[in-house]
Amino acid sequence: MLDERGLIEDARSLGGNYHLLKIAAPGIAASAKPGHFVMVRVSAAYDPLLRRPLGILECRPPYIGLYFQALGRGTSMLAALGPGDSLDILGPLGNSFPEFPGKKVLLIAGGRGIVPLYHYAQVCAERRPLFLIYGGRGKADLPLLDRIKALRLQGLFIFSEDGSLGQKGLLTSGLEKIVREERPDVTLSCGPEPMLAALAGLLKPFPMQNLASLEAIMGCGFGVCQGCAVRTVTGALRKVCDEGPVFPLEEIQWPT
Amino acid sequence: MADLSVDLGFRTLKSPLIAASGTFGYGEEFLPFFDLDILGGVIMKGIFREPRPGNPPPRLHETPAGLLNSIGLAGPGSEKLQESIRRLRARTPVPIIVNVCGEDDDEFVAVAETFSAMAEVAMLELNISCPNVRQGGACPAQDAGHTARLVGRVKERIRKPLIVKLSPNVGDIVGVALAAQDAGADALSLVNTFLGLAVDIDARRPVFANIYAGLSGPAIKPLALRLVREVCRKAYVPVIGIGGISSGRDVLEYILVGAAAVQIGTINFREPAAALRITNEIEAEMERLKIGNLSEIRGQLQT
Ligand SMILES: Cc1cc2nc3c(=O)[nH]c(=O)nc-3n(C[C@H](O)[C@H](O)[C@H](O)COP(=O)(O)OP(=O)(O)OC[C@H]3O[C@@H](n4cnc5c(N)ncnc54)[C@H](O)[C@@H]3O)c2cc1C
Ligand SMILES: Cc1cc2nc3c(=O)[nH]c(=O)nc-3n(C[C@H](O)[C@H](O)[C@H](O)COP(=O)(O)O)c2cc1C
Ligand code: FES
Repeated sequence: MLDERGLIEDARSLGGNYHLLKIAAPGIAASAKPGHFVMVRVSAAYDPLLRRPLGILECRPPYIGLYFQALGRGTSMLAALGPGDSLDILGPLGNSFPEFPGKKVLLIAGGRGIVPLYHYAQVCAERRPLFLIYGGRGKADLPLLDRIKALRLQGLFIFSEDGSLGQKGLLTSGLEKIVREERPDVTLSCGPEPMLAALAGLLKPFPMQNLASLEAIMGCGFGVCQGCAVRTVTGALRKVCDEGPVFPLEEIQWPT
Repeated sequence: MADLSVDLGFRTLKSPLIAASGTFGYGEEFLPFFDLDILGGVIMKGIFREPRPGNPPPRLHETPAGLLNSIGLAGPGSEKLQESIRRLRARTPVPIIVNVCGEDDDEFVAVAETFSAMAEVAMLELNISCPNVRQGGACPAQDAGHTARLVGRVKERIRKPLIVKLSPNVGDIVGVALAAQDAGADALSLVNTFLGLAVDIDARRPVFANIYAGLSGPAIKPLALRLVREVCRKAYVPVIGIGGISSGRDVLEYILVGAAAVQIGTINFREPAAALRITNEIEAEMERLKIGNLSEIRGQLQT
């Protein structure tokens, strides 16, 4: 883990509010694993005061790639940066995904939840059979599709709520069928909370290991502020930043 | 070379800069970023006798240059903290300070006794001012009489220097400060977070389950600086200034109004090596202003 001054090499808008940044951050790139995230300082002034957590989309030393949605103040400021700009990045953070050698792995990504799963697929596709379910509201929410098609996946299933791409509907609507047909050993998921909550229910009857990468509001990203608590089924609170962000899906108490 | 050491009367610190409770974890988390031994001290996250889960999420909400928190003193309990302290001591000689909490006076006394008995602990800070334990922000530091009774009881049972941490959410902070001092506090630290409120207009509800939360960060510096000045004018024990410090200049401002030392809090979240940068900035400011030791300017605010 280190706090590094990254230099933006390339910045791209992908339409909608989606953005890609390619950043030279050699120290972080040297040790980032799929599932790790970074805390990015978006402003030299004190507003916003805190860094923003972002997943690592890809890692090709000395570069890391970020993929994010400009939603609020912080991410909009980040979207305004361009090549030659620098920014402070803390990372790599969190517990990352295990590799699962030899196992059949199903990736389940909702919207920007593709980030850590894309990284996983890029690193692990050669070594095991990988399947990906990728869903969003519409075509505009799935701008990484071309890159995803270039991954060595055994199966790719696209869902859009408005039917503008792939099958129409939420990805959870087609999940059971895919699981029955492909019989994965492991699922790795990342996406909006309602999606993860639904997955927890849908995947319960199947004998698989299910891991999910969670989001939480974070003050520090390295375990010191206690701001990122998430409740588990036992009622205990765990820190998403350093005990996660990857947790067994069934360990989390999802809102009903 | 500027001499950063400060004299608290009962102990000399190598630097005026102390890491504030709840913003520095248990110290170890910062070892990758800088040598903690440049600090005057490291204060552990507030501790109760038993483990506490803390408040339900959300626990944080940003404001312009500020942070509202409702962590609710989540922590592992006294026994686990003792292990963390031993681990930290094995890695660095920096003075370790324990932030003592309690649901009631008996618990404050018991926790203080436990850590007073640890050789690795340099001093105790009595956290009578956390706004996140009870709904509405009630705490002993809101009442001079309660503060005096509690400080007196704790002092009787410990053999380490005692810092008493004050709340800004009171009408007469000087009255509470003097009550703590007269009951035996060796030093005063102020301020803890300011009570604040965040509202979610979509839900038409407070953002936090506890309704109110504690505000910290650069936004509170002018408010905290005033309170530190008020207390410094009346108290004879050393005062440790806290609130919104993010630069070496901020530190000198607190020293000028009379603080003997300072704590840095929220800035540690944004910048894990903030303490190192601020230490360098203090030295640079001292050289620019031709100050050999901060005692030369302590309390020298001209009005
Ligand atoms: C581990 C992790 C990885 C993430 N990876 C990505 C990613 O790869 N791409 C991406 O687009 N987004 C990602 N997010 C979500 C991203 O951090 C938020 O969208 C972002 O912080 C919003 O900041 P803002 O200033 O634009 O929004 P504002 O609404 O102005 O933010 C206000 C506050 O809320 C927090 N916040 C708001 N929404 C979220 C959220 N969903 N999760 C966490 N904090 C939030 C902000 O950090 C800030 O403190 C990730 C979050 C986490 C925890
Ligand atoms: C997330 C968080 C947790 C805190 N926890 C504690 C605590 O456990 N004990 C305590 O005495 N103060 C606690 N504080 C208060 C700080 O120590 C400090 O008094 C306050 O944040 C003001 O300083 P700052 O503006 O530099 O952050 C906490 C503050 C924050 C932001
Ligand atoms: S974000 Fe600070 S402890 Fe997790």
